[in-house]
Amino acid sequence: MELNWIGPAAAAATFLGVWIGHVSVRKIEREVERIWIPSALALLFGIGLEVASFMTPNMILSTICGILGVTLLWDALELSVRQPRRIKEGYAPANPNNPRHAQILATHPRATIVDWLDRDPRGTSYAPTELDSKEGGLA
Amino acid sequence: MNWFGFSVGIATLFIIGLGFVWVIRGERYFGYLWWPYVMGFGALCVVGSLFVSNDWVSVLLGGFGASLIWGSTELKEQAIRGELGWYPFHAKKILPPLSNIIKKWKAPSL
Repeated sequence: MELNWIGPAAAAATFLGVWIGHVSVRKIEREVERIWIPSALALLFGIGLEVASFMTPNMILSTICGILGVTLLWDALELSVRQPRRIKEGYAPANPNNPRHAQILATHPRATIVDWLDRDPRGTSYAPTELDSKEGGLA
Repeated sequence: MNWFGFSVGIATLFIIGLGFVWVIRGERYFGYLWWPYVMGFGALCVVGSLFVSNDWVSVLLGGFGASLIWGSTELKEQAIRGELGWYPFHAKKILPPLSNIIKKWKAPSL
């Protein structure tokens, strides 16, 4: 039986694209002040990979470029819109040493430097009083 | 012009988008302890895609399997989001077989 490596190639591109994107979006958005620069780079490289997927006649290469391209285009949206929104709403921790984040901390009451997700599930929901403290019931 | 990769990319976007839905709903009613089963099923899909001769079916099965493996590593954080009240919390979970053993393992979070 002939093995078809295009499926595992698509799987690898999908998993690595999502994983690397997930980690680097959080890291880059946290550190970079002028967030439009990495956002624009992700947009450009994403378009570049899609163009490459059109140009190559090789099916596996076209698949990998097509998948990594859309994940980079998604990363551009995450960097410029979705991750800053999480910072503003306190769903992701702000970095007070980043002037852009310091501004968000000053103007958005829900923004926080606490990483709420840095804990284990406990099986019960938190009472509002537990969440009043900035440590969210951890301290 | 080879449209295959671009079309696959768009399809992958929808498969990943579906991941948002099943991670949120699945965790709410079944809990994060299902993660080893989800991860195993994802791995089976990826290995299975190797034996599918049709390129489209192979690619979709591989991408879906990868998305299942990724989603299995998201379940723990989603459980915390539910407990924090960021998503509706459902206390009665339908737990997986061997859940008291799985509870002792460190749930992956990438």
